[in-house]
Formats: sequence, structure tokens, C-alpha cells
Amino acid sequence: MTQTAPGEALVVARNLVKRFPVRTGLLGKREYKTAVNDVSFEVPSGKTVAIVGESGSGKTTVALMVLDLLSPTHGHILYDGERYAVRTGKERLALRRKIQVVFQDPYSSLNGRMNVREALTEGMVIHNIGNTAKEREEMAVELLKQVSLRADALDKYPHEFSGGQRQRIAIARALSVQPSFIVLDEPTSALDVSVQSQVLNLLQRLQREMGLTYLFISHNLEVVSYMSDYICVMENGMIIERGTVEEIFDTPKMEYTKRLLAAIPRVEV
Amino acid sequence: MPTPLLEVQELRTWFSTSSGIAKAVDGVSFNLNAGETLAIVGESGSGKSITALSLMQLVPEPAGYIESGRILYGGKDLLDLTWEQMRSLRGKDLAMIFQEPMTSLNPVMTVGWQIREAMEVHGKYRGDEARQRTLSLLDKVGIRDPKQIVKQYPYELSGGMRQRVMIAMALSNDPKILLADEPTTALDVTVQAQILDLLANLQKQLGMTMLLITHDLGIVSRVAHRVAVMYGGQIVEQAETKQLLSNPQHPYTQGLIASLPTRARRGEDLYTMEGVVPAPTAWPVGCRFAARCPRKWELCERVIPDVYTAEDGRPVRCHLYSPTELDKTKSPAEVAS
Repeated sequence: MTQTAPGEALVVARNLVKRFPVRTGLLGKREYKTAVNDVSFEVPSGKTVAIVGESGSGKTTVALMVLDLLSPTHGHILYDGERYAVRTGKERLALRRKIQVVFQDPYSSLNGRMNVREALTEGMVIHNIGNTAKEREEMAVELLKQVSLRADALDKYPHEFSGGQRQRIAIARALSVQPSFIVLDEPTSALDVSVQSQVLNLLQRLQREMGLTYLFISHNLEVVSYMSDYICVMENGMIIERGTVEEIFDTPKMEYTKRLLAAIPRVEV
Repeated sequence: MPTPLLEVQELRTWFSTSSGIAKAVDGVSFNLNAGETLAIVGESGSGKSITALSLMQLVPEPAGYIESGRILYGGKDLLDLTWEQMRSLRGKDLAMIFQEPMTSLNPVMTVGWQIREAMEVHGKYRGDEARQRTLSLLDKVGIRDPKQIVKQYPYELSGGMRQRVMIAMALSNDPKILLADEPTTALDVTVQAQILDLLANLQKQLGMTMLLITHDLGIVSRVAHRVAVMYGGQIVEQAETKQLLSNPQHPYTQGLIASLPTRARRGEDLYTMEGVVPAPTAWPVGCRFAARCPRKWELCERVIPDVYTAEDGRPVRCHLYSPTELDKTKSPAEVAS
């Protein structure tokens, strides 16, 4: 398992830059759009860091780079003190096992032609977890229990579940390869309020029990204020303000952060 | 007493599906008072959007149909009108805006053309007058350069701008009632705040009546005067916004508010309502919320509750507020034994 002690940085992003080529017209010059511009942050082990921003702020591009699904134009990311880029082959595969993701929409993130058994054991096969199919199936049942689903879910397909149940399956799938770090990309944005609370409670419980570290990507400051230890506010590809929940909510410094806070439709309870 | 502009009585909108009749809206009654914003709040599958579509008589046919009920407006039951009569009302007396402006706008026509068309169809404004009015409407919805925008196509506009255009179009024939179905769900938070402020201002300025459909209690607290909470095709509670949010009476409303993630609840588990909404093809015989309700008796699973009046006069569909002698101090198990 990971050597990083709780509270020490498990994932560190240093000066991340991502540019995408944009061609203007057929013979136009190749130009670049900077989606992420000099972004640095640390995610302490066992904690939740949130990246908050609106569409186009670059938060999802950051998430994709942290997931090693997109390589940065400049800068680098360290996991457990070592750069992603220095790991190759098997080591890189092992790294990807440690870093998992839960996306916003459980309708499109699960393969509709795979039943739950296949979805939960596919990753185990790739990463050589469990020796036999039977052993993997037992682990899959255990995972379902973790996310409060019954074992008879194994033979069902995604369309047979509600949105909240699907998101639990997506979470079980992320856990199936025993990660230390999970990127949560708007994990409850597509869910109803009464289902959202079930999923948020589940995520918090898993973090407590398994010592998981979360990078929480969201546009919803209310959810973020409930879930996170630290907040980074992104605008136009840059982190413009960062701090604890108290610092961001009580003493925001940047105009944009203030506007974002004022825009939350809040219920006073 | 406020004057009801629109009265909905025992509305039932059903769908015939392969798995039986889905009673999406099943006995909904409410009044829409002149000059107010009423929010219908509910989760997916509660029937809130179908309620709005029923008022416009735009329920997807042939699967969907209005089974029974009355929609009284201006002394008439809208359900008695012919298709042609209803058509002349739609867009003129009752206008509607939807969640996704891109799919509501015609992608191959300019913004100006589309707003003028809305006016010319009803014949209220034509030609130069319609042209002038288009500009002033766009100005009214906070578009800075109307002369430029009328020449543009929807794809050239941002999501917030498109929704402003939709609002301008909805207002073009001075509707008495604006139905807004999740008008800001597809927008960013800061843009959402702008559009909500815009709707609230327009409503005040024009004395318009608004029915807002939303799943977000935060939006409700920001713009609505009154709220109706829907669950399982029925309204379970109606009250003024402040009272509803600070003192919810129906166990479902109480659960909804308690399950909101907030900063104050950090470190605690959120309240959860286990289980899911039952399917509209097979509503339970008793209370539709009973299976998830923390305060249910055995009675609740047997008998569907009427709408009772809670202490402050608000209608609540729950046996807890029944005036008949029920021993409410006893738990369901005790009552059963």
C-alpha cells in the first residue's frame, strides 16, 4: 500500500499547463488554447481537496491529467513522491491502479452490455487481483456489500438499476482495484437530493474506513463545503484562490470567489 | 384573499405504457394566484414537469392523456377548449420556457426572426412594431446589444444568452402566466443567479404570474412566494416558502430538507431516506411515501391519506394531520398490536 503518512501529500501537482491546438479555418495557422495555466496543488493523504469552478474553468482538464488520461504540456504530477512520467510499463499500470475515478453520469460511465459481475471484475483481471474467477467473484460480492447493494445484483445490467444504485456500482468498480486515491468528478450532480445524501454518506464512510484520499471536482459550493477539507477555486484555467472551507467561505479575497458564493441558491436551515 | 388566476382541480395525467397505466400526475390540485411565483418542487419522477405540460396541454401523445380534472382559467375550463382555441391561448396567455434553450430554439433561424415569429403567429404585433418590440424585449432581458443579437443564430450564443432569448420570446405576447420548467438547470451557478434575478425582476415589473418547476430547494428559497411539494404524482404539502423551509410538516419535506449537504452539517452523516420512489405504474394502495417514511403506522400502508389542514392552515397529505382520533404518540408496531 502507499507509504505516505496520513496528512502528508499523496498527490502533488506542480505548475501544470495544458494547451490544446485549435486550427482556425482550413489553412489557418495552428493556434493554442490554454485550458490549464500554471496550476499547482497538493492533496494530503486521507483528506478531500475540492476543485471548484464553472464550465470552461479547466477543472475537468486538471482531473484528466491527475488520472493520467491526458499528459500535461508543462509541469508534472507526483504520486507518493514520484513523478508520473518516470514510471513506465508495469509501474505506470500499477500507478493507474492506485488512482481511480467516479464520473458524474452513471448512465454513461458504465458499459450497458456488461453485467455487474463483469464490470466489477474486469479491473481485477487487468491488475492481477485475485487468482481465480471464483475468488474475484467473492471480492465483487464484498464490494457490493460495501456500497450497500445485494449480492443478487451481480447478474444484472446497468439499466436495471436506479441512478443512485448505478452510482454505487460505479463507486464499487472504482474500489475493485484497491485504489488509494479517487477523483470524484461531480459524483452527485446527476442525482436527486434524497439519493445524493446516500451517496455522499457512502463516500465519507469509505474514506473513514479505508483511509481514501479524494480529489473532488464540483461546481456546487454547498456540496463542497460539506465534503471537503480544502478548496481550490478555478477560473480561466488558473487557481485564483485556495484555502480551508472556513477561509473560502468566511473571508474570500477574490471578486470571483465572492460572486460564486453569492450565487449559491442556499436554503437556510 | 388572493385571487386565483388559475385553478387546477384533481388533475390526472396518465400514460399508457407496456407495463400498464403510469399515473404520472394523479389528483393534483392547486391555485395559482395573480402576481405570485409558485414553485412546484419534486424529485425526478414526481410528476412536476408533466403537471406543467398538462396546463399547456402539451402532454406527449398518444401515450399520454389527461384522464380527468379541471384547469380553470378566466372562467373557463381549459380542458373543454378545442385544439384551435387552446392553440391561440398557448404562447399568448400561457407561455413556457424549458430547461435546455438550445433544443427549444430553431438552429437555422436568426434570433430576431424567431422572436418576431412568436408575435406574428398571434397577430398581436406585426411588421415594424414587432421589429421594434423584439429589440426592446431583448433589452428588457438584459441583452446588451440587441441590434447585433437579432442577426445572430442560437449556436453563436452562450447558454445564459440563449435562455435570455427564450425568456424574451416567452414574454413577447405579454403572457399572464409564465411556466418555467427547470429554467436554469443547464446553466453555470453564476449565470443561474443572473437568470433567477432576471425572472424575479420581470415578474415584479410586469406583474406576471409564474409557475416554476424545479428540483432545487435553494432556487425555491430564492424566488418563490409559495411552494407545492410533489411526491408520487401528488402534492404532499403546500405552504409559503419561508414557512415550508423553516417548518416542514410532511415527513417527505422534512426528509428532503434534512438531507441537504451544508457546511453546518460537516462531519455528520446526512439524513437519508432509504429506498426509492415507487413506479408510477404501480403506486402502493396506501400513502405513496409510506415505504420510506420514518413516522408511518400500519394505517399508512393501507389507506391513502386525504389532504388535511395542518396547524397553520397549510394543506398536507399525511395521516399525521388527520382530525379523526388517532393515537399519534404510539409507534406503528404498538398500534398494530
